[in-house]
Amino acid sequence: MRALRWISFMIVLAGLGWRFPLFHVVPLQQAVAEKKAATFDPTHFAGTFWTNRLLASLDKAVSATVLLPAIQSDPATAKKQFARSVGMGESYFYFVAGTGRVVSVSDDEIRLAVTATGTNADISLPAGPVFGNSLRDGTGLLNVSDYPNSQDFNDISAALNHLVETAVLPPLRTQAKVGVHIAFAGCAEVADESSDLKPLHVVPVMTRLTSNQ
Amino acid sequence: MFKSDHFKRFQSFIALAVMIIALSLLSDKFLTLANGRNILLQIAVNLCLSIGMTLVILTGGIDLSVGAILGFAGAFAAGLLKNGLTLKCFGVVLQFTPFGAMVAGLLAGLGLGLINGVTITRFRLPPFVATLGMLSIARGFTMLWTGGFPITDLGPQFGFIGAGFWLGVPMAVWLSALLVALFVIISRRTILGRYIYAVGGSEKAAAFSGLNVNLIKLWVYALGGGLAAIAGLIVSARLDAADPKAGLGYELDSIAAVVIGGTSLSGGRGSILGTVLGCLIIGVLNNGLFLLDVSPFWQQVVKGIVILIAVAADKMGAPRE
Repeated sequence: MRALRWISFMIVLAGLGWRFPLFHVVPLQQAVAEKKAATFDPTHFAGTFWTNRLLASLDKAVSATVLLPAIQSDPATAKKQFARSVGMGESYFYFVAGTGRVVSVSDDEIRLAVTATGTNADISLPAGPVFGNSLRDGTGLLNVSDYPNSQDFNDISAALNHLVETAVLPPLRTQAKVGVHIAFAGCAEVADESSDLKPLHVVPVMTRLTSNQ
Repeated sequence: MFKSDHFKRFQSFIALAVMIIALSLLSDKFLTLANGRNILLQIAVNLCLSIGMTLVILTGGIDLSVGAILGFAGAFAAGLLKNGLTLKCFGVVLQFTPFGAMVAGLLAGLGLGLINGVTITRFRLPPFVATLGMLSIARGFTMLWTGGFPITDLGPQFGFIGAGFWLGVPMAVWLSALLVALFVIISRRTILGRYIYAVGGSEKAAAFSGLNVNLIKLWVYALGGGLAAIAGLIVSARLDAADPKAGLGYELDSIAAVVIGGTSLSGGRGSILGTVLGCLIIGVLNNGLFLLDVSPFWQQVVKGIVILIAVAADKMGAPRE
């Protein structure tokens, strides 16, 4: 009787195990390959995104000659018209392009005057390490809800910033001399309007020397 | 005497009723359906822990390791689900299904609880010391298993028990209600339940009566570990992540709920339903103080005072030895 009870119990257990399997046995090599394929590679993603989508969208950036006067005259209207924000955060982003004359160069930044007669800096481009999420969030091309793992989304930012540091900034640092004209396109994050609008801190996707003087 | 007994039996219930009436008058957000559901969801985890703690305290013991077992079981299940179990000697990986990972987490909790029981009964260690050791061991294993990092993105199937709903009620609440019903029956209607009270009432008398005291204690500590594991699975499922620091300090909330619920720390007296009331009192207190915008520091002070009052009330009503 006791044995019969045990056998019945084991049969029920086996049936449950067949209906609701606890695990699947997978060859080690296959499991490694599957995991590698499923693992998000932010560097690869950022490279593809940069080439195929970011550079292709530069024509969508608002012209600095339009944006900067608009910010000067009425920041609230300029924000409503040209900025985009992400989630419930206070900060917002401008995707901006234009040409400016270099007015100062330091280890940290390169400052440009965009207006023809201006001597004050309107735009600041970084010369050193790049931080923040300007490029990821500023163009509107990437949406956080497409990334169930927020760490992946954060890693994209870091990879994009690394691309700026390695591909965009080295030639910019070489070319940037006071007086030269530089074309740029990039994104600016405005977290504090009192300090971030004048000059506008743009993380560049592209910079190009347009004239030596 | 009759009045005093009646008051003692219902003192937790009266305290809860008074708190609910007072908070309803003080905050218009308190007595709403959404807030009620919120309170039940918040106490679900403590309830799972406290049911096990009640059984342990009824035998005259204590389990300080439940928070650590909660953390380990949640992380163990999450790790198996995300990374599987590699058996290099066989050249295979066991890729766990969400159900399989939950079963493994539950077994891990039962196993650790059983080890608690073995060290207490076999090696005669005081429960305080044995479970304090397990607290440290389980925390260490959790860090080793996770590398100190949270295991995230566990998926909707795993997440259902923590974040899912059935008939508009969170699954975690259903699960804890089911466990309450099950353990009320076990404690009142089964031989094991009667033996637990007998061991707590007088261990010597229980042993002289022919009860296998050690076996009963093994069961109780294993069940405590298993219930902590269920709590760990709920926490991981709810957050969609297993945090290696999950459950830190939860054992204190659990002990507080048991004591406030009228279970005597010296064992033999108390009930699961009393513990449910204890959990509700702590949950309502936390929620009410939050709604009244009381500083978290003051919240801790108030909670401590409530525990002291509960223990003092228990001592005053207890028979003299």
